[in-house]
Amino acid sequence: MTLRVRLLLMIGVSMLLLWGGVAIWMLHGLEQEMQRTLDQRLEMSAHMVAGLMSQNPAAWDGSSGKAGVSTLSMPETVKGLACQVSLRGEVIARTPGAAPQAIDLATPGFSDRNIKGEDWRSYTLDKLGLRVTTSDRLSERSTLLRNVMVAAVVPFVVALLGSLLVLWFGVGSGLRPLERLRQVLASRTPDSLTPIENAPISRDLRPLVNTLNHLLARVSETFSRERRFTSDAAHELRTPLTAIKIHLQVARITHAQEAVVAMDYAEEGVARLQHSLSQLLTLSQVEGDFSWDDGRVAEANEVARLAIRDAAPDATERIVLDSDGNRAELSLPQALAVTALRNLLDNALRHSPAENSIRLEIRRSPETIRFHVLDRGPGLSDKELVLATQRFWRRGSGRGSGLGLSIVAAIAERFGGSFELLQRPEGGLEAKLTLTRKKQLDSS
Amino acid sequence: MRVLLIEDDELIAHGILVGLRAHGLTVDAVHTAAQAEATLSAVHCDVVILDLGLPDEDGMRLLGRLRARDMALPVLILSARDAVQDRVAGLRAGADDYLLKPFDLDELVARLHALLRRAAGRSVDVIEHGPLRLDPARGEVFLHGRPIDLSRRELALLVALLQARGRILSPDQLKDSLYDFSEEIESNALNVHIHHIRRKLGADVIETVRGVGYRCSMVSA
Repeated sequence: MTLRVRLLLMIGVSMLLLWGGVAIWMLHGLEQEMQRTLDQRLEMSAHMVAGLMSQNPAAWDGSSGKAGVSTLSMPETVKGLACQVSLRGEVIARTPGAAPQAIDLATPGFSDRNIKGEDWRSYTLDKLGLRVTTSDRLSERSTLLRNVMVAAVVPFVVALLGSLLVLWFGVGSGLRPLERLRQVLASRTPDSLTPIENAPISRDLRPLVNTLNHLLARVSETFSRERRFTSDAAHELRTPLTAIKIHLQVARITHAQEAVVAMDYAEEGVARLQHSLSQLLTLSQVEGDFSWDDGRVAEANEVARLAIRDAAPDATERIVLDSDGNRAELSLPQALAVTALRNLLDNALRHSPAENSIRLEIRRSPETIRFHVLDRGPGLSDKELVLATQRFWRRGSGRGSGLGLSIVAAIAERFGGSFELLQRPEGGLEAKLTLTRKKQLDSS
Repeated sequence: MRVLLIEDDELIAHGILVGLRAHGLTVDAVHTAAQAEATLSAVHCDVVILDLGLPDEDGMRLLGRLRARDMALPVLILSARDAVQDRVAGLRAGADDYLLKPFDLDELVARLHALLRRAAGRSVDVIEHGPLRLDPARGEVFLHGRPIDLSRRELALLVALLQARGRILSPDQLKDSLYDFSEEIESNALNVHIHHIRRKLGADVIETVRGVGYRCSMVSA
């Protein structure tokens, strides 16, 4: 159903209900008022007749019992209105339409009666021995009422239909800007993410267009970021793949020592590819909704021990651990805590001279555990500090996957921690990883 | 043919270096844009292989600068960026060819030869010079239809002279075509190679221009 039809239906139906209700109410009031007015007329007519008769009692009292008892007739004044006057049970005057047999039954006041198949409304007045009865034919009454109602309802219905028609065109022209916007949107190609031009759009719709433009801008940015990521990921995987391929080809066309060296290089390429792949996988799992819970408790000192073992399997003495040794459980899976810390240690080792040692400090607060990895390497410039956690960023032509610090940042973010790189005043870099502690039920 | 390889990834650079040398090309590898510019201003190169992601500068900017300086030598871009717009941008910036990583070593060599051939204004790979027929890509030389066996250096020297098409090449230019930086050159090495070529193909195939250098003689051998 189009917006136009819906609007029209909604407004039309509510108008119909409201005005219909008003009309019914009005007509009901009108009918009652009319009945009352007509009753009043009956009553007044009776009083009038009684009053006229009583002004000259001799006219009818003198001839009592004999002359013209049943023949004094009154002219028919109003169609449907009948009148009968009787004295002590004898009818002395009546309009031609009045029914004589009904009179005896009449009681003073208003009453409804059916006489010879016709409904009458009558009023009877007893005054000075006179009984005056005036009657209305009810069919006359309803004809009158119908005429009044028709006179009132027809203009009303015409006005209602007219306003529905006006409404139809009004809604149509009111919705035209929306229709134009729809056409503008419909004529765009599916992958077009450029903002909608404001020019042909009415002022009322500008907020909507602005919101749409904001959305388009956000979607476009997300798209280009994803595209960049895919392109970067492809680049990262192609580079080691290229190295492997070329060294395998070299190995085929060279001999002896050269071929052996080429195979060694190819193997190094495979190792790099494997590393890049596993880092990419880790990153996508940390950023996705992969469940890591392996049921193992991540205890800070154990995490540090495992990370040191992974980062420098042959030279664990290069990393100096500074911890008070108390147990402290972290609120994230052990595997991820180890991965994050190992990446930091890897980085520190890679960028430090081989003779320098790395310091790993564990500091605890009631809520958090902080790991500080301190090296004496060349550090990073302010600009590089900002870039460092971006995916695939490396310093110069570094050998890593460019994902290590992105993974650390992603892990910290997912588990409510934080990660920060700081330039040390005395030279080198400090990596500060803050992770939240597990909430202990009993603090034993 | 002397190739300058500009590639920051050592693993790949080493592979290309060894692979191209095995195909009889003279290759120098540099890792940064700055090194590349220094090398290009110091020695004569026939073709450049350019990786786009260099640590000190984007390869495209380097290419733009080289072209702005009227450097006409053929450039082949080697890149892992496979989007059409990347390739188009590379070619628009002045590259003569665009090869995607990972690539085939044979294809790289064939494309380098094709670039060189075009730069020399030929449309077929074979160079014919009088009774002499030379296929640089295959490393085959025929004299009057008979195959002649030349060493790698002799072949490179002959190709350099034939590519020059009668222009005089100085001994330094010839050495640039034969040796990369890593190689030790004995002082009379060039003379020895020229002597061998003359012995195998006839004394008048290479003409000595006293005090200037050498050229391939225009007289049919």
